[in-house]
Amino acid sequence: MCDSCGCPSPGTTSYSHDHDGHSHSHSHGHHHNATSGTRTVDVHASLFAANDALAKINRDHFEEMGAVALNLISSPGSGKTTLLEHTIEALKGEIRIGVIEGDIETERDADRIRAKGVPAIQLTTGGACHLDAAMIHRGFHQLQKEAGGDNIDLLFIENVGNLVCPATFDLGEHERVVLVSVPEGPDKPAKYPKAFTSSHTFLITKTDLLPYFDFPVAEATREALQLNHHLKVIDLCATKGGEGFESWLGYLRGLVAAMKAKRR
Amino acid sequence: MEKVLSVTMEIGTLSGVVIDSFQFGFDTLTTGERLLGESNLIIRTPDAVCRCSDCGHVMMSSGIRTEQCPLCRNRLLIPESGDDLVLRQVEME
Repeated sequence: MCDSCGCPSPGTTSYSHDHDGHSHSHSHGHHHNATSGTRTVDVHASLFAANDALAKINRDHFEEMGAVALNLISSPGSGKTTLLEHTIEALKGEIRIGVIEGDIETERDADRIRAKGVPAIQLTTGGACHLDAAMIHRGFHQLQKEAGGDNIDLLFIENVGNLVCPATFDLGEHERVVLVSVPEGPDKPAKYPKAFTSSHTFLITKTDLLPYFDFPVAEATREALQLNHHLKVIDLCATKGGEGFESWLGYLRGLVAAMKAKRR
Repeated sequence: MEKVLSVTMEIGTLSGVVIDSFQFGFDTLTTGERLLGESNLIIRTPDAVCRCSDCGHVMMSSGIRTEQCPLCRNRLLIPESGDDLVLRQVEME
């Protein structure tokens, strides 16, 4: 059973238990100091471990459904939603897509995605600058309802626009994609290294604006690969198609095919 | 148990948690609380240990981040410890 909502889930681990009438986490030791009357409790509970455990449950959920999940991380305005709109158009009838949108306020992004005819749900954090595994857990259940029993092959999680905190939280995604748009400048990998060291793929977006900005693609690519030479780098313009956008679609098709092969 | 005397946290240098902010939040949330109002927050900052993703060399890092592996110059270093936020101990009276 799933810890947070009671849904059936494999590999669920319980990380709290009741003992002496009170609830607490993990193993621990008690030390009593008879003379001073104080009591010391060793807890040793990792506060990130709770997120990571739930992220693993999410990953199992996605795989049960046969969905490969991508977590999109970038600054606000780099073109995450626009990329998704064009991706949905391009893969219509070929790959079943679902989207979980994260923002501080408004349903706007989910509305834009629904207008493209795919199930989408909006998580509004009300101030928090990132999504965490618990939010995705609830969001995925809502998305399953919205999908009305249809399976999803490819789940996009669009994180809150921020290159800092989202990098710390595993949501249960299979691949993490970091985006930088041409107007933001090429120094983002050097300034926000964790978003790049923790990602699988680096997208340079809005390349149609290259004639108007000083953005040496080769330099940005080199800096990102210096941080993480496993990164796949794709530069593209989502609104005008072209070679880069086709590479992106090829990357997505590859991920979906690999997940299907894994389930056979 | 009448009150909490101290709470001991371990905040790794790679955890992304800002110690001053954590202290500020702790002070704000515990002020006026019956159990926690007089408690001390003790913060330990263990050094990070990283493993090179290519050659497997293990290195200590007391700074924010080790730039690259001293042996093979690879920059993708996987944290083995020092990236966590851990509640270590609670002392009560």
